[in-house]
Amino acid sequence: MAKKTYDLLFKLLLIGDSGVGKTCVLFRFSDDAFNTTFISTIGIDFKIKTVELQGKKIKLQIWDTAGQERFHTITTSYYRGAMGIMLVYDISNAKSFENISKWLRNIDEHANEDVERMLLGNKCDMEDKRIVPKAKGEQIAREHGIRFFETSAKANINIEKAFLTLAEDILRKTPVKEPNSENVDISTGGGVTGWKTKCCS
Amino acid sequence: VEGREEGSGVPAFEKDPLELTVEDVYDISYVIGKDLLKVSRVGAEVSDLQFKIVRVLEMFEIMVNRYNLSLEELRMERDNWKEELGRVVAEGSNGNIIGPDKLVIDLKDPNRPRFTMQELKEVLQERNQLKAQLLLAQEELQLYKSGVMPQPQQNMENPPSDPPLTTEESIEHKDEKTTIQKL
Repeated sequence: MAKKTYDLLFKLLLIGDSGVGKTCVLFRFSDDAFNTTFISTIGIDFKIKTVELQGKKIKLQIWDTAGQERFHTITTSYYRGAMGIMLVYDISNAKSFENISKWLRNIDEHANEDVERMLLGNKCDMEDKRIVPKAKGEQIAREHGIRFFETSAKANINIEKAFLTLAEDILRKTPVKEPNSENVDISTGGGVTGWKTKCCS
Repeated sequence: VEGREEGSGVPAFEKDPLELTVEDVYDISYVIGKDLLKVSRVGAEVSDLQFKIVRVLEMFEIMVNRYNLSLEELRMERDNWKEELGRVVAEGSNGNIIGPDKLVIDLKDPNRPRFTMQELKEVLQERNQLKAQLLLAQEELQLYKSGVMPQPQQNMENPPSDPPLTTEESIEHKDEKTTIQKL
């Protein structure tokens, strides 16, 4: 019998203004690398990373969206399949912080109602260029009842922590049947079906 | 008394006719009226001429008035057009002379936009699907190489599908696989 490479599949989505570092955050997490050259994402891309949480192998399929308004129609069509959404802003870019409410509205409009949300203030290594105080990020996150991290893809600060926390939050509300140790596949199927019932009913 | 001198001394008589104002016409009428009074004292037969002159002066007044109004109107219209022209020229240099929310495309520009959003969407979907299949194939190859998997086996679960179908499809595939594996 073929051995399955993972127990659960979580679909995550990265959104936020253009240039805040969504692709870099993802690249740091998936490949543990950083690239300073800015290449604007065209429409939508994804990366896969398998992590282990609570003894379960969880395959994270992470969708990386273009922040530019011109790709809006393409990117919003990917909101619906997401179980977790990371909203990223740049602590050195006031506009990207002001736009958080716009992005949250996009989530309300296009994503599943029970989608797990998280706010990231990226580029926190650039303290000399900081415009958005950490407290303001914490405040807006508190107001919307979502988790918040300041991250740096460049300095590798809080990146893995953010992804793992989001995955844990999703795992917590994923109904999983007690795994029958001899047959992992049934529990997996049950888990995903359970999630489907929850989100689509 | 000193009408003669006054008559030739009125500046309105010396003016360019096209620059006359209604006030000038009134000045002229005043002077002519004074002269006529002197004449009428001499003989009553001039009264008919007097009326004709008054009538001509009235016509003169209307014409000067109308002329000046028309001139003012034309000036205003000219200024409006000048303004409009300036605006259009400025817009033209900004590249959207064809109106707001429109963009002029240079057909000679090799980098000009020429694909629709729908086409881009389809290409991206296909790219992402192929990428997902490659990742799966790599994963399987790895398992195969490491000897965990005895033989290559169909494993088509979870290609990142078109967004609206994501959940449905992955479940279908999962069910498929579960069945296969149960056998």
